[in-house]
Amino acid sequence: MSMENTGWDGFEIGAMLRSFDGPAKDIALTKQEDRNYSKNNSFTASVADWRIIKPVFNKDYCIDCQFCWVYCPDISIISRDKKMLGVDYDHCKGCGICVEVCPTNPKSLLMFPEQKDTEEAIAEWPEKEKKEK
Amino acid sequence: MGEIKKIKNLKEFSTSADRFEGANLLCPGCAHSIIVREVLNATNDDLVLSASTGCLEVCTAVYPYTSWDASWIHIGFENGSTAVAGAEAMYKALKRKGRLKQPDREPKFVSFAGDGASYDIGFQWISGCMERGHNIMHVVLDNEVYANTGGQRSSSTPIGGSTTTSPAGRVSYGEKQNKKDMVAIMAAHGIPYSAQVAPNKWKDMVKKIQYGLEVEGPVFINAMSPCTTEWKFDPKDTMMISDLATDSLVFPLYEIIDGHKLNITYRPKTVIPVEEYLAAQGRFKHLFKDEYKHLIKEWQERVDKQWEMLQRREEAGV
Amino acid sequence: MAFEKMKLKEIEVWDGNMAASHAMRQVQIDVVSAYPITPSTPIVENYSKFLADGYIEGEFMMVESEHAAMSGCIGASAAGGRVATATSAQGLALMMETLYQASGMRLPIVLNIVNRALAAPLNVNGDHSDMYLTRDSGWIHFDAYNPQHVYDLNFIAFKVAEDHDVRLPAIVSQDGFMTSHTAQGVRTLDDDTAYNFVGEFKPMNDMLDLDHPVTHGVQTEEDWHFEHKARQHNDLMTKVFPKIEEAFDAFEKLTGRRYNIVETYHMDDAEVAIVCMGTSVETAAEVAKELRENEGIKAGVIGIRVLRPWPYKQLQEVVKNLKAVATLDRSSPNGAPGMLFNEISGVVINLDKRPVINNYIYGLGGRDLTKVHVAEVFRDLKANADAGKLTTPTQQFIGVRGPKLSYL
Repeated sequence: MSMENTGWDGFEIGAMLRSFDGPAKDIALTKQEDRNYSKNNSFTASVADWRIIKPVFNKDYCIDCQFCWVYCPDISIISRDKKMLGVDYDHCKGCGICVEVCPTNPKSLLMFPEQKDTEEAIAEWPEKEKKEK
Repeated sequence: MGEIKKIKNLKEFSTSADRFEGANLLCPGCAHSIIVREVLNATNDDLVLSASTGCLEVCTAVYPYTSWDASWIHIGFENGSTAVAGAEAMYKALKRKGRLKQPDREPKFVSFAGDGASYDIGFQWISGCMERGHNIMHVVLDNEVYANTGGQRSSSTPIGGSTTTSPAGRVSYGEKQNKKDMVAIMAAHGIPYSAQVAPNKWKDMVKKIQYGLEVEGPVFINAMSPCTTEWKFDPKDTMMISDLATDSLVFPLYEIIDGHKLNITYRPKTVIPVEEYLAAQGRFKHLFKDEYKHLIKEWQERVDKQWEMLQRREEAGV
Repeated sequence: MAFEKMKLKEIEVWDGNMAASHAMRQVQIDVVSAYPITPSTPIVENYSKFLADGYIEGEFMMVESEHAAMSGCIGASAAGGRVATATSAQGLALMMETLYQASGMRLPIVLNIVNRALAAPLNVNGDHSDMYLTRDSGWIHFDAYNPQHVYDLNFIAFKVAEDHDVRLPAIVSQDGFMTSHTAQGVRTLDDDTAYNFVGEFKPMNDMLDLDHPVTHGVQTEEDWHFEHKARQHNDLMTKVFPKIEEAFDAFEKLTGRRYNIVETYHMDDAEVAIVCMGTSVETAAEVAKELRENEGIKAGVIGIRVLRPWPYKQLQEVVKNLKAVATLDRSSPNGAPGMLFNEISGVVINLDKRPVINNYIYGLGGRDLTKVHVAEVFRDLKANADAGKLTTPTQQFIGVRGPKLSYL
């Protein structure tokens, strides 16, 4: 980021940061893709390099229950119009909570090594587990 | 704005547009951000926020980044509540004087702080805010430890918890004092609403936050926040630990209206033994040695007694 | 809720606390967050009474400690409006953490400090040890010598602090009891004139601008912190004095009362001078006049009107032709020369010709500084000037019982 080369005279006084460029009305009703984030909003940053494992989403089994959405600490489950669309890999830290809370059988989200190709992961997806009696 | 957001079910909740952003620096699996998301997403109202020094603060406003999409202020460790109370006072003044830039909007004022910043160092500031009747909500992210500075005990740390300043050792089972009952202390201020919440019970959380934001006057919320780093469990297990906490009744969910009327808001279908809650966390590992096993029994008795007390208060309805 | 304006007499008999209270009322502060402590308590009490009688439209937070008082001020100021408070001594010490936070966030809060000694031993009377705590805190600091100054400097403090080129908090200090509780004639401004001099508050980076969310009070580590601190220092060093001069000029035009960054008394042909602050300035000026008449000592007095930013260049101009200077510190330096000695020495160190400088510690815990004491100091100065070198120890205590204390 260019700010790293900025001298003392180049910053806002008081180390104040703005979340958005220009006015931001009705943020609570504006989806992330429609927001005018400033370069200082952490939305524009990435923590992808924190991960060694990543959640892979398999929409074939998803029932759009939104457990993964509500319990994701990192706003990394992309849900729109009540549908689960996928994982935001810029912000996902790979904690694995989404997989743990996924209620489908087989799960619609599973953890794989970070380097794993998504299509390969889906090809390896486990079968439905039979409930033990 | 001004209307309570309709959140009938989780699908409807999931249409919320978060005002808390990712690429913050909280640990993977941290419950703080789950709680913050549930609190902020409970409303579409404008928000003015504060945070006291602590994990949430140092991980969400590290220059040159902010993770907040609403106005937010941090001053110090002890005074986040008073910071937002000052902002609320300014709102009232400017409203009276006709100088608000958006006069038709009524922001809600919420401060977040850890248990160290609330139970210990910021105790007086919060008490002052509650007593003065500011129209603010104070939310404690209660992980029962000074997690930000590496896991020192606070007055929220429960008996037997091993922390860096109350470590379990050759002759010690860890923390010796019982957890301070902050919800009761805050309710004793006669405030209109105080409640305990947990991130796994999102619907209970949303209902309480919505009630708290609507009610006129100060509100105190104690949010159980399992800490993967200091409670010592795998980051993926945050919600599992939360379930154990609420279903063992170690963290009972209840509310106190107008300082006295207590309602239990969650009754587990099957109550889990406290032992299972303790066994799932590294901070209590030493309690399973033979010489400390009596402490587990005492834990269970304490939790049972607390649950009994809550039920009797609820029945009394006064 | 409408608020009433107050009709003031042209000259009111006010003590320093009442003068501060009226100035705070007249500038129509949006939020006062305060906690009472002797000797500044009457400021908080007077303001409460103005509120109870319908003369205040803003909010008043009567909080549970001085730390909370400034914390509330910071939250309110960041929200976007005019904010002030008052305190003394232990209260200021408790508030200290937040002073750095207020200035670091560049919030234009005005703080009336009514000077009082710091415990232990406990003492409620005036000395400057409390305000000396604030020297490095990044606040602008005006010093009043009497109730009139308290009144006038409050208006100037708001005007300078809130200027968007400045945006730094400002202290107005007065001596506990000697100024704060001593009623004198104070020339007043009518409510509208006073308010208009300061003008309507202009918000900047305000949290209550809901369409422009801001984050205040971030963390900056080794890769950013230095730049922000450097910016604050730069703005104190380069932007504040021009605005103070502007405000002093405008105030003189309005009232005929002239203030200067460095105040001088009998300095035109002075050979020796005392540098001091607070009520001692007026005492010293009287003695200087008498000694000129009675003993032929070309005595003068330099009053520090603005302690921060430190008027280094302005003082150089004033002291450069002097032969001897006495620095009077009303604070126990506890193991060092007094603050004014050190800072005045810094002012002269690179001049071609330097006066001889010595240091007196006086008046701790409200001990009177008498005209006899001041005359003794001037006689020491005369001896130093005549000898062209120190004839006394560098540091002496005056007005303390027991064997004479002198050091260095």
